[in-house]
This record gives sequence, structure tokens and C-alpha cells, in this order.
Amino acid sequence: MNFDDYLKVSKILLEYLPYTLKLFFFTLLFSIPLGMVVTWLKKCRFKPVSWLTNIYILIMRGTPLMLQIVAVYFAIPMMVSSAKKAGSIEGTFYETLDKFKANENYMFIMLVIAFSFNYAAYFAEIFRGGIESIPVGQYEASSMLGLTKMQTFFRIILPQVVKRVIPATSNEVIVLVKDTSLATIISYTEIMLKAKQQMNAYSSIGPLFVAGLFYFVLNAVVTVAFMLIEKHYDYYK
Amino acid sequence: MAVLEVKNLSKSFGDLQVLRDISFNVEEGQVVSVIGPSGSGKSTLLRCVNQLERADSGEINVCGMNMLHMNGSKAVYAPHKTLREIRLRIGLVFQNFNLFPHMNVMQNIIEAPVHVLKKPKAEAVQDAVELLEKMGLSGKEKAYPCELSGGQQQRVSIARALALRPDVLFFDEPTSALDPELTGEILKVIKGLAAEKMTMVIVTHEMEFAREVSNHVIFMDGGYIVEEGAPELLFGDTQNERTKQFLSRYRK
Ligand SMILES: Nc1ncnc2c1ncn2[C@@H]1O[C@H](COP(=O)(O)OP(=O)(O)OP(=O)(O)O)[C@@H](O)[C@H]1O
Ligand SMILES: [Mg+2]
Repeated sequence: MNFDDYLKVSKILLEYLPYTLKLFFFTLLFSIPLGMVVTWLKKCRFKPVSWLTNIYILIMRGTPLMLQIVAVYFAIPMMVSSAKKAGSIEGTFYETLDKFKANENYMFIMLVIAFSFNYAAYFAEIFRGGIESIPVGQYEASSMLGLTKMQTFFRIILPQVVKRVIPATSNEVIVLVKDTSLATIISYTEIMLKAKQQMNAYSSIGPLFVAGLFYFVLNAVVTVAFMLIEKHYDYYK
Repeated sequence: MAVLEVKNLSKSFGDLQVLRDISFNVEEGQVVSVIGPSGSGKSTLLRCVNQLERADSGEINVCGMNMLHMNGSKAVYAPHKTLREIRLRIGLVFQNFNLFPHMNVMQNIIEAPVHVLKKPKAEAVQDAVELLEKMGLSGKEKAYPCELSGGQQQRVSIARALALRPDVLFFDEPTSALDPELTGEILKVIKGLAAEKMTMVIVTHEMEFAREVSNHVIFMDGGYIVEEGAPELLFGDTQNERTKQFLSRYRK
């Protein structure tokens, strides 16, 4: 591969960068709020809810994301085809699924679902650690001042949790940038898949280096962004 | 009128009985010191009265409102609304301050007046400025707790408690997390409040201070009130062997 080839490959990858970014941002958008909900469910005083949440977290963290992507992606076609075999597709839930499966965004939606549920489990554990690290004195002082439970959480606890979870969250986000490449397993066209195709076309591993550089630069941006966020919260210790 | 009435209060942690049949009153304008060896139940007593801990049995009345009473052998707490009302009438100053670290001094003080009492912010700020002046902290409005000395933090936490204009203020060893040279400034502030006839209950290991500032002293040991009375009596010529023994440790 000469310099021109590298330029060409870079251009192609750049063209597919938005697909990587789309998956990245949508996953963040859903997994962070979902992670908060999971934290809340895990801390639920009604034990069965807390146990079920624990099982969910165990599965999400205990099995490969790649496996989860494949399972989520193929689950719906499987359900539909088994329904078809049983001859019960008309006017049912399965018919809706059958239509949904033909949606042009079907693959992307399934990816976002798989990624979001997986990352939510990790974020949930980070948030829980953050909440549990707040000294009990903060709750006691709030209660003595007459703050309600909601006020205590949103005005006193949460702002402090945010500061504490930034470092761990930044780690997860950096991993997510790289994990988007797992979407190649179901042939979602993003930069990793394109790089592999170019690798075959050129019979060279050169395109892989270009892809590597893309991820590296993205993570440099993520790192700087988190440094700025950390700095923003530096006004208190 | 008694601001606080405690009758036959008992509390256990598992097998450990920490409070045994505690009864005492605090009258308006009184400054009560609670002294006693470590583990005698002083903090637990304060925490039960402040609803941070649930008592097992007994009766507690605050400002004429019933907080806890007995129904046969069952301890019954007042409804949520009353408990909240009571909580707003009392303030507690913690040993380790428990300021909100993400808020500056002004925000710490106006948090409850604005968001609990729903006071207009300008009014709350005006009150806070006055309180800070009284605490000798003028000009520290914008400082964050981590930028203040322990003594200054404790004075902010006193101002924060006073901002709700409580009828009675509780202190749990307000000086024991401080360097000895910083305890003086807190004791001075408390003396100032005593001079204004603020009703206060102070758990302390500062015997000199307890003797000087309070007009009633409670000596606790092993979960009991062993003796209580005027400071002249307790510190002067107590006839109680246990009290004598405890105080002798401070007479060196
Ligand atoms: N949450 C708790 N769970 C179990 N035991 C507790 C709890 N809080 C206090 N205790 C125990 O209750 C007893 C009384 O504690 P308390 O803190 O009221 O004593 P104190 O008089 O305030 O002591 P000090 O002077 O050291 O502050 C101690 O033996 C303590 O270990
Ligand atoms: Mg104590």
C-alpha cells in the first residue's frame, strides 16, 4: 500500500465513521439513564426486584457482548419463524414483529438495544458505588434540615455522586468507543467492517492501522472531554 | 413551658441496651450539658430525640407536640407530618459538621430556608448574611467547605442550623473533631447564643465549658442518667460516687 492507498482507505473509513458515532452516541443516550434505573431497581427494598436486577447484571457482565448482540439480533426472526411454523402469525404480536424486522433501521435498533442493556449494567454498578460512597452524615444533615427524600437525592446526593463517578464512567465510555467494532459480527457497516473489507481488497493489514488510528483519535477526544468535565467539578474536593 | 420532655426513654441495639429509662426536661432558655464517659449513650439519646434513631419505648414531646408515646407496651410515633413539623423546630450540630461540600457557605445556609420553608431567596440571603456576621464569618459567603478550617466549618454548620430559627438546638460534641486551639471559637459562639437565651442541649467532654455555660448538667453512665442538677452542684460537691470518679479524671 502506498500513500495514496492510505488516503483512499482513510476517506472510505471517514465516510463510515458516522455509523460508528451513531452507535456510540445512541448507546450513551440510552444506557446512562437506563443504568440509573437499574441502580434504583437494585436498591429496591422489595427483595425480588433487587434479586432480578442482580441476575440481569450478572448475565450482562458475565457473558460476551458479542454473544448478546447476536442473540438480540436473531431473537426476533426466531420468534417470528417459530410462530409461523405454529401457524399463528395473522393479526398477532408476531405479525408486528415480522413487520418491524423488515424496517430499514432494524439492525441499528437491535444493536442499540443490545449495547444499551449491556452498558447499563456496568453504569448501574458505577452509579451504585457512587451513591454508596456518600457519607451517611449527608443524609442525616439533610433530614435535620427538613429536606424531603426527593430533595435530598436530587439536590444533595446526586450532584456529589456525579463528581465521584466521572473517572469510572470515562473508563466505560472509552471501552464503548472500541466496543462499537463488535457490531461487525452482524455485518453492521461501520469503520471496522469497512477496514476488514479494505484489508481483503489490498491484501494488506494497512487498513487496520488506519482504523486503529480512528479509534485512537476518538478516544483522545473522549479523554479530553472527560478531563474538562472533571475540571468543571474541581471547585470542591 | 418545657421545650423538650423525655419520659422513660429506652433504646437497644440488638442485645446492647444503650438507653435505660431516661427522663428529663429542657425548659425554654435553658442550656443543658450532657456529660459522661464514652459509650454511655449520649449520642444515641440525642439521635433518638432528633429522629435519626428509633427509640424502643418511652415518650417524647417537643414544643408541646407529641413525637412518641406508648400505647400499652407499643411505642407509637406521631404521623409523618407531625414528625416533620417537629424536625423543623429543632436543629442539630454534628461533631463532623456534615456540610454539603458541593455548595458554598451561602448555599449551605439558605438551602433549607429556600427549599423547605419556601422563603424568598433575597430574604434568606439577608438572614444568612446576618448569621454569618454573628458567627464571625463575614466575607466567607462564597467559600466552599473544603476551603475553611474545621472551626470555620463548624460555625457554618451552626449558622445553617440557626437559619431555620429552631426552638432548640442540639450539639453532639461540637468541638471534638477540632484542633484544641480551634475549640475556643466554637465555645465562644455557643456562649453568645446562651446569652441570647437560645435553648440548647450540648453533649460535651469540655467540663470547664459545661460548667461555665450551662444552667443544668446531666451526667450519664451505662445508659442511665446517674445524676442531674445545677452545674454548681454537680461540679461543686456532688455526693454521688460515680460522678466524683468520672469528674476526678478531668481535674488534673
Ligand atoms: N448504630 C449502632 N449500632 C450498634 N451499636 C451502636 C450504634 N450506635 C451506637 N452503638 C453503641 O451504643 C453505645 C452508646 O453509644 P453512643 O454513641 O450513644 O455513646 P456516647 O456516649 O455518645 O459515646 P462517645 O462519648 O464516645 O461519643 C456504644 O456501646 C455504641 O457502641
Ligand atoms: Mg457520642
